[in-house]
Amino acid sequence: MYMKLKREEILSAIHHCVKCKLCSIASFHPNAEWLPLCPSGQYYGYQAFYAPGKMEIFRAILEGEITEPSDGLLNAVYACTVCGACYEKCKQITNVELGAPDLFEEMRSELASKGWILDAHKSIVDKIKETKNAYGEKYEYKAETTDQNADVMYYIGCTARYRVPEIADAMLGIFDKLGLKYQVMGEEWCCGSVLFRTGQVKAAKELVAHNIEEIRKSGAKTVIFTCPGCLKTFKKNYPDMGVELVHSTQFLTRLGNMNLKKENLKAAYHDPCHLGRDLGIYEEPRAVLSEVANIKKMKREKKQAWCCGSGGGVKSAFDDFALWSAAERLKEVKEAGAEALVSACPFCKRNLKEAAENEELEVYDVVELVNRCLEG
Amino acid sequence: MNETVSKLVNELQAIVGEGNATDDLAICTSYSRDQHWHFVPAKNPAYVVRPGTKEEVRSVLMLANKHKIPVIPYSTGINVRGLTIPVHDGSILLDLSRMNRILEINPEMKTATVEPGVTFGMLLEQTRKHKLRPAFPDAPLTVSVLANYYLRGIYQTSATDGHDHTISYEMILPNGEILKTGSRALSEMPYFRYGVGPDFAGMFCAHPGTCGVVTELTAKLYRLYDNRKEYFIGFDDVGTPTAFIYNLMHDELAASIRLVDNQSWLEGIFGTFDYAYDKLPKFVVCVLVEGVDSIFKAKDKLVRKYINESSGQILELPAEFARTFEDESLGGAEKSCMVFGLPGKGNYHCIGLYGPLTLAARYYEVHEKTALEVGIPKDHIHFYIDPIYSFHGQLCYFELDVFYDGSDAGFGEKLRNYNDKQFHRLLDIGIYGWFRPYAGIIEPTAERIGYLAEVWKKFLHVLDPNEIMNRGKLF
Ligand SMILES: Cc1cc2nc3c(=O)[nH]c(=O)nc-3n(C[C@H](O)[C@H](O)[C@H](O)COP(=O)(O)OP(=O)(O)OC[C@H]3O[C@@H](n4cnc5c(N)ncnc54)[C@H](O)[C@@H]3O)c2cc1C
Ligand code: SF4
Ligand code: SF4
Repeated sequence: MYMKLKREEILSAIHHCVKCKLCSIASFHPNAEWLPLCPSGQYYGYQAFYAPGKMEIFRAILEGEITEPSDGLLNAVYACTVCGACYEKCKQITNVELGAPDLFEEMRSELASKGWILDAHKSIVDKIKETKNAYGEKYEYKAETTDQNADVMYYIGCTARYRVPEIADAMLGIFDKLGLKYQVMGEEWCCGSVLFRTGQVKAAKELVAHNIEEIRKSGAKTVIFTCPGCLKTFKKNYPDMGVELVHSTQFLTRLGNMNLKKENLKAAYHDPCHLGRDLGIYEEPRAVLSEVANIKKMKREKKQAWCCGSGGGVKSAFDDFALWSAAERLKEVKEAGAEALVSACPFCKRNLKEAAENEELEVYDVVELVNRCLEG
Repeated sequence: MNETVSKLVNELQAIVGEGNATDDLAICTSYSRDQHWHFVPAKNPAYVVRPGTKEEVRSVLMLANKHKIPVIPYSTGINVRGLTIPVHDGSILLDLSRMNRILEINPEMKTATVEPGVTFGMLLEQTRKHKLRPAFPDAPLTVSVLANYYLRGIYQTSATDGHDHTISYEMILPNGEILKTGSRALSEMPYFRYGVGPDFAGMFCAHPGTCGVVTELTAKLYRLYDNRKEYFIGFDDVGTPTAFIYNLMHDELAASIRLVDNQSWLEGIFGTFDYAYDKLPKFVVCVLVEGVDSIFKAKDKLVRKYINESSGQILELPAEFARTFEDESLGGAEKSCMVFGLPGKGNYHCIGLYGPLTLAARYYEVHEKTALEVGIPKDHIHFYIDPIYSFHGQLCYFELDVFYDGSDAGFGEKLRNYNDKQFHRLLDIGIYGWFRPYAGIIEPTAERIGYLAEVWKKFLHVLDPNEIMNRGKLF
């Protein structure tokens, strides 16, 4: 469940940042390549947009030096995808005790408690209040439970319902083709991820309670997510419900041989931040993808993957920055000699696909390829 | 960015573009502190300006000079000594990191010409294509090459590279005049340091941003060799290994020689926190030999002979430790920051100085003595020696380190007491010079250098009569 960090704990972590900025690049050795890692710093340039600068801002807020929500403050705090790349690098080097994403989310919640929130993020609360989804969509995505007693529930998530439905379609298609029974929530509400990530924690309470109750009622033993953001939120911000929470790629790996028809496709795999850095799931998506395509390795991957640019409320508030980050990733895909970019997250797919609009590059979620390669 | 932008911000934005100058409090705050805050307290610049060209640098300087506004040049801001933290209200922080072009790599001349924002990592990525490398400090490879050389960094990772890697540079003064040093002043060939008249490159450098702004610098590059061999030799005290180090330096045998205690920098040299460092002898000398085939073999043979004579213990360590030592020494330091991961000691205090190897044991002794006197526990006291080629006068870099928990305010107080005593004691023992003229060091030193201090101040006054350049940082 959500825990507020102690002031001393936060300040101690901030004091231990030596401002070495090694968190701004991927590990240099042994290939001696300079590969930026922090989208926010790389795009905006001022120190405030790199992890060490943000920490200094947090210190100044806690110590009462910053008392007004300037544009610079809101930009520095919210134009960060909370991707955690900085933390992964920092902990290798300095053994730092507190993860930067935790610190930054805490900073956001501190700001939110003072009412210092971006309009774009505030409006999400209103949308969720009204429609129970983050996009304020009124229509219903069509998905039916196939067996009220199925052990497995598929939690679809707002983005796959309302923005990239091909992912939800593909996941449901896989269930059907494999003859697996499943449930979906009668009334699925937003998991609250965007609220937690943007510091608007209170507004998420109602959503959490509703979804827990829906899962309890369903009797499902396993909940499957195609959205790593939802999965992370259920794992990190929800109380333990005594059910198993798994990502689609974990579920598919477990199924073993699905008789997939491998395609002659050169695909680069993009690690979604929530799936990789937050949940440590790196191998399963690769295992599934290698069944359907030939994987081309990118330079920045796994713990040191470059973020797609859309997380942490960035897509809704700083779309140019989000698309720039995605475009940077596309360059790397081409450099790797791939003709398709495959991710395992609807958020990543949406942003990467938008950036690839004028590129000769396909963008997929891994479940789409699996569904395509499954004998019907 | 602020709704009520001040007039000066408007003028600065007119020079560098709206997105590259700000007086936003939060943005300015992000430049307010480095890890030396127990000695240099946090302070915000009033403006941050990010020029993209030298013409913009010049215009900003002239504007600041007109209004007598302090300017703090900042290349990457990783100096860890508070050198880019403002002293005065209303300062402009000139963040030069956008100027990050490698202007030339000249394999024939073995030189690179860089702008301030070029880091050691960026430079090596390019020079290695020519089997060349820059001389590396033991600083993270995210630091600016130009700023490091301009500060006259002492380059702990390769003894053979020697001490000064700067050939020539271009500096813009507050009045907008452009100074070029060495052959650069006479021609388009920036490859010779002693072009005309005195060694101006030497005179303008090592003044932490107090003369003008260096916009490009040409530096030496060094060969990358394929043949390499590493040794780690354990000793129980500081005095015994000095004869061994002397032999290596006298015969010019090793690319890298570092004496470290077993609890601090060794973690970065080995690249892991996860090793029983306390089981090693108290001091470890790390030696790296490199060279062309038969020369390498001959050197290696001699090194082994000296090791056998040294009464040290050759340590058998995992092969990856040697690889990391190689990377860190001749490929740019990344793991060196692991010293910040020492449990309960995530912050770094050191007095860095130059002195002769003959005084190694005395420096260590006084380090321990003073630290214990002010209440610093024994297990926080660390030490580092790095001999520097050419070894005239047995020139070495010494680092008297204390790693500590920076969030412990009481420890900060102890360190301030330590400094107050230690600067004087070291000056009494005798040193060649300080690593950098940073806060607190310059005052007791200036007292001892006689008329030179006066000349130094006058020299700075000629270059910067309005005292806008990093005002208050030196005198
Ligand atoms: C773990 C660690 C280990 C280190 N070990 C070493 C080491 O072994 N050897 C070593 O040399 N250093 C070492 N350093 C110190 C540090 O890296 C250097 O001082 C650094 O190279 C300078 O910092 P910077 O490049 O970020 O310059 P900045 O911090 O940007 O600037 C440093 C100073 O130079 C001035 N300055 C910057 N740019 C310009 C310019 N263009 N024109 C005029 N003045 C300018 C600034 O005003 C300031 O006074 C270490 C640092 C760390 C964190
Ligand atoms: S790597 Fe860690 S210690 Fe270094 S600047 Fe980044 S957050 Fe700070
Ligand atoms: S979380 Fe990601 S975007 Fe934010 S500071 Fe860290 S690396 Fe940069």
